[in-house]
Amino acid sequence: MRALGTVVSRYWGMALILLAWQGWVTVFQLNAIVLPQPLDVLADILSNPGIYLANAGQTAWMALVGLATGMAVGTLLAMLAWSSPLLGGMLTPLGVLFSSIPVVALIPVLARLFGYDGGTVVAIVAIISFLPAFVFTASGLRALPAGSDDVFRAFGAGGWVRFTRLVVPAAVPNWMIALRLAAPTAILAALLAEFLIGTSGLGYLFRAAGETFNTERAFGTSVVATVVSILLFSGTLAAEAWVRRRWG
Amino acid sequence: MSPLLRAKLRAVLFGALGIGLFLGAWEAVGVYRLVGSSWPPLSTTLAFAFDPDRATLFRRAMATTFSMAAGGYVIGAAAGIAAGALGVLVRALRPGLDRLVTTIHAIPSVALAPVFIVLLDRDSTGMAIAAMIVGYAMYVATTSGLAVASAAHRDVFAAFGASPLARLWRLELPAALPALAGGLRLAIPGALIGAIIGEWFGASRGLGLLMVSAMHNFQIPLLWSAVLITSAASLVLFGVASLIERRIAERFRA
Repeated sequence: MRALGTVVSRYWGMALILLAWQGWVTVFQLNAIVLPQPLDVLADILSNPGIYLANAGQTAWMALVGLATGMAVGTLLAMLAWSSPLLGGMLTPLGVLFSSIPVVALIPVLARLFGYDGGTVVAIVAIISFLPAFVFTASGLRALPAGSDDVFRAFGAGGWVRFTRLVVPAAVPNWMIALRLAAPTAILAALLAEFLIGTSGLGYLFRAAGETFNTERAFGTSVVATVVSILLFSGTLAAEAWVRRRWG
Repeated sequence: MSPLLRAKLRAVLFGALGIGLFLGAWEAVGVYRLVGSSWPPLSTTLAFAFDPDRATLFRRAMATTFSMAAGGYVIGAAAGIAAGALGVLVRALRPGLDRLVTTIHAIPSVALAPVFIVLLDRDSTGMAIAAMIVGYAMYVATTSGLAVASAAHRDVFAAFGASPLARLWRLELPAALPALAGGLRLAIPGALIGAIIGEWFGASRGLGLLMVSAMHNFQIPLLWSAVLITSAASLVLFGVASLIERRIAERFRA
């Protein structure tokens, strides 16, 4: 009974949406081309597992490779900016500039620059995940616990020791925040890039389903894309919680 | 010169140098075609965007996109703040609301497009997506902002027998204003992203539509102008919101 209470208290909102969806279809007698029923969408997913799995795997892979590249480059550049006051001073306002524009709007420009091929999706995801990685790592590298840098200096620690033993560990929590923020954006960027220029992946599946008025496929793709996105997002949340426990 | 002033001056100087180099590199890459013909010089893009012949084209597209973004922004902010306040006032609803809101947030906005196209129409899909993105940001800002008021202050209100609504209005809401202002600032690019993604899914006009058609048709200066206009608008609004936020933070700091 208590378990049921927990389930109700956590999932009432989502159950409501499913009910509203089914109710909408039933009350307005909509045909399947306008709005499919939840069960029909599920049936399309279960009867075509190959199509969904292959495309979901492709999108997830593009997003992961792009995310990893973007995080690596962003972190590296943030470290360079930390080591040189000139470079840091020059890059900081650019970081602010790029985090206050709608970066997703850059996708068409990047698509044109890199050409319409497979690598372009990865490049787009990498560039879009690079921004939060740089901004958050850079601020993490500067946010040292009060007085800790003085302690290190007083004991005669050199630049390298301070960097590896103090600055990098202090930046790890911020780095995890960057990862959590970048992960959903990475999936979104991969989907949008595939939608605009791709020839495979969930984003492409959307476009193909839309062009053939296959609404069950379109909604099925929505469901699968959401599952992929939630899995990645929960993964980063769990990683962040784990790091926070370890770092205290 | 005091060290603080010197540090400030240096930050401004280095920052201006960074932006100057960025704009210079943008121009140079375009002029010398370092990455091919898809990268026009900054000056060409600006000249294209400000060409009086295209003023009507851009003005119409801007009116469409910005009104979608603004509508979504207002609806999303109202819904997000209301949902956040509801979750704080009625504790029993909070776990379900949190789960619902994070799930909706984790849904890539592309995946919502087919739903909105069915429920609304192609031209207002962008407004709905913008509202979802802004709504999430404001829900988070509201729930965390309403938790800012200190336990001691809450005790004073309880001791004088204030009702929960009076406490919300006179203590928790004023204390939450800086967080709300921050959320409203951070939501601005999100509102524009929503409007543009909506247009990519088959709207009949707007900056997002210009971007996609220019991309497919190799109209490079048009493509860059549309992106530049969108980014510049976001940047200006973000700057204005930062100023407002600073005033609010000074006035209502806990």
